[in-house]
Amino acid sequence: MQAALQYIFSGLAMGGIYALVALGFHIMWSSAKAVNFAHGDTLMLGAVLTIMGIDAGLPLPVAAAGSIAASCIFGVLLERFAVRPFAKSATSIGWMLTTIAVGIMLEALVTMEFGGFSRPLPSPGVSQAIFIFGAGVYPQELLIPVFAIAVMLGFGWMQRRTLIGRAMQAVAFDRNAAALMGINVNFVFALSFAIAATLGGAAGILIAPVTQASSTMGLIIGLKGFAVAIIGGITSAPGVVIAGLAFGVIEKFVEGYISTAAREIIGFSLTILVLLIFPQGLFGKREVFKV
Amino acid sequence: MSKYQSLIGFAALAVILAIVPLTAANEYELRLFMLFLIYAVIALGLNILVGLAGLISLGQAGLFALGAYTAAILSTRLGFELVSSSIAAIIVASLFGALLAYPTVRVRGVYLAVITIAFGLIVENAAIEWQGLTGGPMGITGIPKPSVLGIPLSGYAYYGVLAVVLVLVVIVTHNLKRSKYGRAMLAVSQSETAARSLGINATGIRTLAFVISAATAGLAGVLYAFLNSYISPDIFTFSDSIRFLLMVIFGGAGTTTGTLIGAYILTYLPEYLQQLQYWQKFAYGLLLAVVMFVLPLGVFGTLSELWRKWRPVPRKIEAAGLSLEQALGIGNAGDRLPTELKAEGLTVRFGGLTALNDVSLRVQPAEIHALIGPNGAGKSTFVNTISGFYRPDSGRYELNGVDLTGQPAHLVARNGLARTFQNTELFGDMTVLENVMAGYQNRFSYNFFDACAHTPRFLRQEEQCRAAALGLLGFVDLTDYANEKARFLPFGLQRRLEIARALATSPRLLLLDEPAAGLTTHEIEELDKMIRRIAALGISVLLIEHHVELIMAIANQVTVLDYGVVIASAPPDVVQADSRVIEAYFGTHAVPAEVVS
Repeated sequence: MQAALQYIFSGLAMGGIYALVALGFHIMWSSAKAVNFAHGDTLMLGAVLTIMGIDAGLPLPVAAAGSIAASCIFGVLLERFAVRPFAKSATSIGWMLTTIAVGIMLEALVTMEFGGFSRPLPSPGVSQAIFIFGAGVYPQELLIPVFAIAVMLGFGWMQRRTLIGRAMQAVAFDRNAAALMGINVNFVFALSFAIAATLGGAAGILIAPVTQASSTMGLIIGLKGFAVAIIGGITSAPGVVIAGLAFGVIEKFVEGYISTAAREIIGFSLTILVLLIFPQGLFGKREVFKV
Repeated sequence: MSKYQSLIGFAALAVILAIVPLTAANEYELRLFMLFLIYAVIALGLNILVGLAGLISLGQAGLFALGAYTAAILSTRLGFELVSSSIAAIIVASLFGALLAYPTVRVRGVYLAVITIAFGLIVENAAIEWQGLTGGPMGITGIPKPSVLGIPLSGYAYYGVLAVVLVLVVIVTHNLKRSKYGRAMLAVSQSETAARSLGINATGIRTLAFVISAATAGLAGVLYAFLNSYISPDIFTFSDSIRFLLMVIFGGAGTTTGTLIGAYILTYLPEYLQQLQYWQKFAYGLLLAVVMFVLPLGVFGTLSELWRKWRPVPRKIEAAGLSLEQALGIGNAGDRLPTELKAEGLTVRFGGLTALNDVSLRVQPAEIHALIGPNGAGKSTFVNTISGFYRPDSGRYELNGVDLTGQPAHLVARNGLARTFQNTELFGDMTVLENVMAGYQNRFSYNFFDACAHTPRFLRQEEQCRAAALGLLGFVDLTDYANEKARFLPFGLQRRLEIARALATSPRLLLLDEPAAGLTTHEIEELDKMIRRIAALGISVLLIEHHVELIMAIANQVTVLDYGVVIASAPPDVVQADSRVIEAYFGTHAVPAEVVS
C-alpha cells in the first residue's frame, strides 16, 4: 500500500512532465501540422540554463525566468528558420530533419559548455519531504501534476475565450480559410511554438530538482512526451494530459515491480498497441479530411 | 539511352569494387572499405523509405543491431552459417519492421520517425539489460569466421561476398524504384488522396517501404557481425541512426548513386572527425542542417538537377501510343460488362449537419449522368462517399452489383470506379507520363520478384503500360508535355491529365468532379468531345458540374441535389423546366412564372 502510494506520487510528477511536453506537441501540431523534433531540448535548455544562471550568482527566480525566456526564443527562432520554410506542403519531411539537426547541435554545444554529467537544480521544493500515509514525497513533485492540469485548463480557457485563442483554433481547422479571414497565420504558428517552448522550459525547471539535469535529458523525455501525445491523441489537450499522468504512473509501477528495462519496453509497446487499436489516440478526433 | 544507363552504372560499380581490394594499402584500409559496403546496404534500403515513400526512420541502428544480434546468437549457439543467419535476420528484421510500420504509417507519417527513435533506444536498452541472451554491456564475442556450406571465407573471400551483396542490393533497390512499387511509393508520398483513388493501398505500400529498409538493415547487421566477430550495444546508438539517415539525405534522397556517395563519405568522415571528440556529434547536426538549407536535393541530386537544366530532356515523347480502346484494354477484354452504379438511401452526417439525406441515385450503363445542385447541396459529399473517402451513416451503394458500402477508397477504385478531383490532385514531382503510368498500377500482373529482377514479364508489361499511357496522353492531347513534371503544367492541362490518369485504371465508371471549372470556352468544347468519346466506349460517366450548357449538351440524365436531398432526377430538358429545381437555384416565386401570370 505504502509502496503503491509512493509510485503514484512520483509517477504523477514524472507524468506531469510528460503531459507538459505532450501539450507542447499538441499545440504545435494543432496550428502548424508540424512539430519541433528538438522539443525535448527546450526542456533541457530550461533546466541547464537555470543551473548555469545560479552558478553565475543569479537568484533562482531570476535564473528560471531567464531560461524560460531563452527556451521561448529558441522555439520561435526554430519555427521561423527551421520549420516554416520546410513545411510548405503537408507531405514534406524537411522540417523533421532541420529540427533534428538543430537539436543535435544544441545538445552537443550544451554538453561542451555544461559537461557530460548530471547535476541537480537546488530548489526549495525538494528541501524537505512530506509524508502522506507513510509515502514520502517532495512538495515539488506534488506541484508538477497540478501545474500541468492548470496549464491545460488555462490553455483551454484561452482557446475558448480570447481572440487569439479562437484564431489558433481557426488556423488548426483550416489555415487557408483562416488566412482569408484576416488571421495572421504565420503569427499563430510562431505563437504556438513559443507557447510550446515556454511550457517545455518550465517543465525542465520543474523536473530538474527531482531527477537532475544533463545535456542529454531532452531526448528521452521529448520522445516519451511524443509517445504520450500519440496515446492521448495529439488533437486533444485534455487527452494528452490524462495520458501523460497515466503514463508516468504506469512507468513507476513497472519500474518498481519489474525493472527499468521493462519500463521502456512496456511503455513503448503500449504506444504501438494504442496506435493499433485507436489510430487517433484514446481521446483524439479524426482530423477533418477534405478531398 | 536511360535503359542502358543503369546497366552501365551497375557494371561500373562492379568494376570499382573489383579494383579496390587490389589498391588497398593494408588490412585496415580494406576493412574500412568493407564497412562502407555494409553501410551502403543499409543506406540503399533506407533510401527506398526516405527517397521514395517520403518517410523518415531514425531507428535503423536498432534494426541493424537486431540483425547483428540475431546472427551472433544463432552462430555462437546454434552454429548457423552466413547464409542461414542472413535469412533468419532478414525475417526477424522484416517482422519487426512490419510490426512497427503498419500501426504507425496508417495514421501519420510523422509518427514513424518517433516510433523508430523509440525502437532504436529500446533495442539498445534490451541489448544491455538482457544479459542472458545478449551478453549485456560486454556484448557477444567469438562470433565464428564467416563460412558458406562449411567453406570458410578468408579476408578477400569475405570482401567478395560483401561486394556481391552490395551489387545485388544496388540492382534490386534500383530496379524496384523503376517499377510499379517505386511509382506507388512516390505517388503516396506526393498525394495520398490521389494514390488511393487509383487503387493504391497507401498503408500497405508504406509498410512495404519500411519492411524493405528493415530487411536491408537486418542483412547489413549480419554482415557486420561476421566481419567484426564481436558486437556490443555501443556500436548501435542513436547517432548511428542519424548517420545512416544522413547518408541518404547527403547524397540525394531517391537516387541510387547519391546514396552510395553519401554512404561512402559518411563511412570515412568519422575517421577524420574522431579528433574532434564532442564536436563530432555537432558536426553531424551541422552537416544535416547545411544539406537541408543549402542542398535540399543532396550532392548528387543537385548535380543531376543542374545537368538536367543544362541538357534538358525533350518535353515531348515522339513514340506513338496505343489507340484509346487498346489503352483501356477494351480490345482485349472483348465483351465489357455494362456498368451500373446504384446508390440507395445514402445518409452522411458531419456532427449535427446532415450533408446527404436519404439520397438514391442510379447511373445506367454507359450513360452520362450529371449531378448538379447549388453550392453546399452535398454533391462533393456524395462523390467522396461513393469513392470511399467518407463513410456513410446509412444506405448502401454498389457498382455492377458489387456492394462497395464503406469500402476504403483503394478497393472502390479496384472495383472500377475512377475519379478526378475538384482541386486537382496530381503527383507534382512525377512527370506527366509517370502520373498516367501510376494510374495503370493495378492492371499489372507482375509480382515483387519480377520487379526486383526486371524479368521479361516485367519488361513486357511495363512496355505495354508505357504505350497505353502514351495513348491516353494522346487522347487528352498532352503528348507534347509527356516528360514535363506535372506541377509545371498550366491548370487546364492539369485537369486533362487527371482524366487521362483516371482512365489508366480502365474504369467502369468515371467520376468527374467539376471538370469544367476554370476552363476556357475552347477547353470546355474539347472536354465535351472527350466525355462523349469516353461514354461511347461503354464507360459510365458521373459528372458533377455547374456549367449548365455542358450538362444540357451531353448529359442523358440529370440529378439535382439541394440541402442533401434529391429534388429531381430526369432527362435534362425535363429538369430544366422543373419548378422545384428553379426554386432551388433562384429562390421561391420564380420570376418566369410571375411574368407569365
